[in-house]
Amino acid sequence: MYLVANIDAGICAATSCKLCTQYCPEANTILYDNEMGREQGLKYGSAYVAVDRCKGCAQCVWVCDNMAKHNAIKMEMIDQIGDTALTENVTYGEKTSRAVLANPVRGQ
Amino acid sequence: MSLDYVKFAPGFEKFMPKEYRDMVEHGPFGKKITVSQVGTFKEILEEHPMCAGCAMTLFIRLAMIAFPNPEDTITVGTAGCGRLAISQAAVPFVYGNYGDQNGVASGLSRGLRLRFGDQPKDVVVMAGDGGMADIGFAQTLHSWFRKEKFTTIMLDNEVYGNTGGQESGMTNRNQVLKMAPLGKKFEKMDMLGMAKVAGCAYVATVVPNNPRRVESVIKKAVLVAREIGPTYIQAYTSCNIEYAIPTDKVMEDAKTVETDRYKFSEYITDEAKEYLSQLYGYREYLPKPAAKMESK
Repeated sequence: MYLVANIDAGICAATSCKLCTQYCPEANTILYDNEMGREQGLKYGSAYVAVDRCKGCAQCVWVCDNMAKHNAIKMEMIDQIGDTALTENVTYGEKTSRAVLANPVRGQ
Repeated sequence: MSLDYVKFAPGFEKFMPKEYRDMVEHGPFGKKITVSQVGTFKEILEEHPMCAGCAMTLFIRLAMIAFPNPEDTITVGTAGCGRLAISQAAVPFVYGNYGDQNGVASGLSRGLRLRFGDQPKDVVVMAGDGGMADIGFAQTLHSWFRKEKFTTIMLDNEVYGNTGGQESGMTNRNQVLKMAPLGKKFEKMDMLGMAKVAGCAYVATVVPNNPRRVESVIKKAVLVAREIGPTYIQAYTSCNIEYAIPTDKVMEDAKTVETDRYKFSEYITDEAKEYLSQLYGYREYLPKPAAKMESK
């Protein structure tokens, strides 16, 4: 098993700095959903990770902890992360993206 | 290379992979995309085999987002880590033999101008410090002396990272590397000074720990190269493998190096300033009294 980034939407959607989306070296890996936080009554949308593309470098963790100072991202084992975003379940819309969450190990 | 090449062939849409469909329907082609919108559109860079946490990859990703017209852009590269990512993108990529990239780009740029006339077609060379300052040094400098109109971007990781850690001309003096165990004996080459002497119209140094600055620099360099002359960007893109930087400390290193010895710098000729202000509305380059009047 290996580590991937996991974003706490509850923390992210309170501030929505989007820094992690800009600092990830992998394309279309940290994505942004304009509605994710609002649906939970929070102020903004939230970033989320398409874990099948995450190489586990943890650069986003450093950026979130030290530049944004939000501490919203943790590295977690892929088989313990629960339902999450996968590239094949991501759809793009007008200035947003959305993922149907799935189990990253079983893929459904 | 136009918007047409990213459309579906009639009847084939349903057979195309998801990534391709996303690229056609939600990619940056024909739109004005900025770095602040990342995460909400399909990027032209795809999955690639670069190392985890590579700063060079981050820079390449940001550069590709910043291309003013990605549908009218061709990238040229050569041997080195960078081409592993640059070639995995939805813009045409030409692989020059080692060191040939600025020669190839010269012909390409001239040919595109003959074929397409005034319609801008951007040629962007992205190669490493070895390909540009050592093996491709003559071709790089001569393309600048000839005032070839394309952008040259050096991905400066200060080492031959792809082949085990030999020193390059851009490695710092006294730097010890796996294949340079006694430390480098001479200074880092001043490619910025040479670019200015050789007549580049826009020269900048940048570190990828400021994505918006990278975006701004790339846009200016590509636009100036359309009409005015050669442009050169030197980007610090650390090799976390050869310099043993933990992947989660890559941005910390970038920040330290930027403060220490790789400060942001920008050189632009008066002609390029006038061109950017007149054609693309860069207010920062308007003559001072005109800028004042405009703000009223």
